[in-house]
Amino acid sequence: MTDLAPDIGNRSKFTPKPDLPPPPNTTGVSGWLRYNLFNGVFNSILTALSIIAIFFMVKAFYEWAFVNAIWEASSRDECRISSTKIGTCWAGVNVWFTRFIYGRYADAEIWRINLAFIIFIIWMVPLWLPKITSKIFIGLSAVLIYPFLAGYMFLGGERGWFMEVMVALSLTCFLFVLIHSLLCLTTGLGLYGWIIKVSGFSKKNEHQHKYPVIGFTLLTVAVVAFLINDITFKYMSNNLWGGLFLTLVISGIAIASALPAGIILALGRRSKMAVIRVLCVAFIELFRSVPLITILFMATTMFPLFLPGGMVINKLASAIVAVCLFAAAYMAEVVRGGLQAIPKGQYEAAEAVGLTYWQATVLIVMPQALKFMIPNIVGNFMGLLKDTTLVSIIGLYDLLGMINAVSHDPKWIGLHHEPLFTAAVLFFIGCFAMSKYSQHLERSLGAGNNR
Amino acid sequence: MKAFPMSESRPPSAKGIDGFINDERYRSVFYQIVVFGLFIWAVFSLIDNTQTNMAARKMAVGFDFLKNSAGFAIAWTPLDYKPQDSYFFVYWVGVVNTLLLAGVSIILATLVGFLVGIMRLAQNWLVAQIASWYVEVLRNTPLLLQIIFWYLGAFANLPRPKQSLEIFGIDWLVLNNRGLYVPKPEVLELFWLTGAAFVIGIILALWLNRRATTKQQETGQYVSTILPTFAAVFGLPALVFVITGMPLDWSLPELKGFNYRGGGFVLPAMLAVMVALVVYHSAYAAEMVRAGIMSVNKGQTEAAASLGLKQNFIMRLVIIPQAMRAIVPPMISLWMNVVKNSSLAIAIGFPDLVSVFMQTSLNQSGHAVEIVAMVMAFYMTVSLTISACLNVYNKKIQIQER
Repeated sequence: MTDLAPDIGNRSKFTPKPDLPPPPNTTGVSGWLRYNLFNGVFNSILTALSIIAIFFMVKAFYEWAFVNAIWEASSRDECRISSTKIGTCWAGVNVWFTRFIYGRYADAEIWRINLAFIIFIIWMVPLWLPKITSKIFIGLSAVLIYPFLAGYMFLGGERGWFMEVMVALSLTCFLFVLIHSLLCLTTGLGLYGWIIKVSGFSKKNEHQHKYPVIGFTLLTVAVVAFLINDITFKYMSNNLWGGLFLTLVISGIAIASALPAGIILALGRRSKMAVIRVLCVAFIELFRSVPLITILFMATTMFPLFLPGGMVINKLASAIVAVCLFAAAYMAEVVRGGLQAIPKGQYEAAEAVGLTYWQATVLIVMPQALKFMIPNIVGNFMGLLKDTTLVSIIGLYDLLGMINAVSHDPKWIGLHHEPLFTAAVLFFIGCFAMSKYSQHLERSLGAGNNR
Repeated sequence: MKAFPMSESRPPSAKGIDGFINDERYRSVFYQIVVFGLFIWAVFSLIDNTQTNMAARKMAVGFDFLKNSAGFAIAWTPLDYKPQDSYFFVYWVGVVNTLLLAGVSIILATLVGFLVGIMRLAQNWLVAQIASWYVEVLRNTPLLLQIIFWYLGAFANLPRPKQSLEIFGIDWLVLNNRGLYVPKPEVLELFWLTGAAFVIGIILALWLNRRATTKQQETGQYVSTILPTFAAVFGLPALVFVITGMPLDWSLPELKGFNYRGGGFVLPAMLAVMVALVVYHSAYAAEMVRAGIMSVNKGQTEAAASLGLKQNFIMRLVIIPQAMRAIVPPMISLWMNVVKNSSLAIAIGFPDLVSVFMQTSLNQSGHAVEIVAMVMAFYMTVSLTISACLNVYNKKIQIQER
């Protein structure tokens, strides 16, 4: 055995030959092309046909959008590129673009809409920052309290005492969200903890912690109410609302009310109580099985009849109610889908530790179900945004309604294609971003792992 | 819950008024009574308000108006409708138009959807990309916008009848601003024999296929039934058609004066809404097809191949049946959506149910409640029928586990 060892040592070291290069045409650009585009005769023909088709489409679009385009003109007649032909008249879109976004809202007041949307975005931003605590409060306040502020900013006019309080409360919430976020980012201690610390209650019993917080809130509301008392906005009647702004208002209200309504309906549908279950199923099936346009027509023709004598309801309000009913029924099915994904053992375990039905639902089941639901909720919102265009059929001037209005403007009469294209691009950007976001959520929340 | 002996020995405090309040069964009954009471109250107050309001506006109630003459013309319908016909006939015209529009759109959307879905899975990168952008663009813009776009962009700018576009250069297949003119078959005597032959052919084909399956199960022998099926379904009626002396006349459209006469025609608005419905829903169908095929585990293909099945048998016997299980249920709800979305035809003036009944008839007669109820009843019937079919199908294809 001993003489073998040096033998092994002396054996010339094994030096592997360098790997052969991969066969030509399987790597790099040419390999990719060969594998994906020109693998076989049939595929090559398909590729050639596709290239030809793309070329002609791009060429036609380029000629329409750029070559024959007129960018500056004051009427459609000035967009002529020859005596017989009117070019692509982007000038009309340019002139009308503000109207597409804000409807017939007075130019001098448009800043109110912008400000309200900016406030909303700032309100929502903390939800995406990982360090922030109390996200449920931030989200809920944005959905439940912000609408009063936005509603007043959009509508303006005199405030009654109720609106006065709600606007002040809403502004207070906004301030709190801002301060809370800043405190979270800098000190790691939320607003709640900070108030308790500053007021010196931190040593006291936890039950008493709420007193300084409530006191501070009431004080802030009072101060804010005092400060805004003299500020009133010009009244902008809601038949001046329009464009993308109106589309967002309708779909925003619908989605905000659809979520709680949908959760209640979905729980009702799974309830053991027969009466509640039957009513919920009937509501959901009724509103899911008829087209939205029939609900809208029902709203405009029948809601005025439903109301007690003397009450009037305007077209926008009935349209919003109709869209809300429709959205609630669809949201209920989304929520039900989420609830069904939760194994029965979760309920049983919650029951076993002595939680009541509502405790089990709110603390155990819903948080888990929400994870499955979020992508679908985003998808639902996207669908709702698209469906909101239907209100133009009953005569509201949403984005599509404004698009139709352009072609009735004597100056721009018959200008259809360019505004439609603009609206399509606006919708596409919004919906595409949302669908990509929902796909991203689906991946990051792990709901799609089982594929 | 007799399974838990614990519940037998409830503490004695569960008696009396306290126990009554805390007992889940009584509480549940109480809640239900409260909810039901609220519901009844809401319904009654709605009915009461409506009656008061209608009386104040001197609006009549009841379905008697359905017998009245409608008095307006309908731009397009396959039925023999005249303005003096009743409102009920208008309803019927609307139903037929809606079902016709939706039916054709469903068939075409499904076919296009399968094509695009397969294209998205193609190995050819360019083809897959084109299909994917087709889906993305169409799914992310509102259907109503697409309908208006097709109408104003393509079908509202057609030339006058004098300058009609002749499709494939055929002078009896023309497109102009009045619509698409096509030859219309006129049924003569004895044509029913061809129809009967077609039905018999289908029955025959079903029988042949069943026999072939039985034979394969018993003996393992595979008999191709493609040719006999074709012969039975198409050959037999064709043979009968020729033997009975071709009992079908074609009425061809002809330019007479300012317009085409004869033949059948389809409104530009109907073409526009149909193209929009097909294109929009085909994008959704494509996604379903793609997801369905992707949902079949790769191991299934490999297992089938290791059993020695040929490529086309793997596809037909293993992949497609399993993919169908994932494709069919969403596809059926997509069809339901096509029926519902066909109501958007109102935006460009195609006379569907919502347009002729819920708009024109409602504005004329003012019977809002009755008309809304009738229209909703139609859509609910369609959708409940479709979901009943879906449930039957789901029961049939459910995987039987253990």
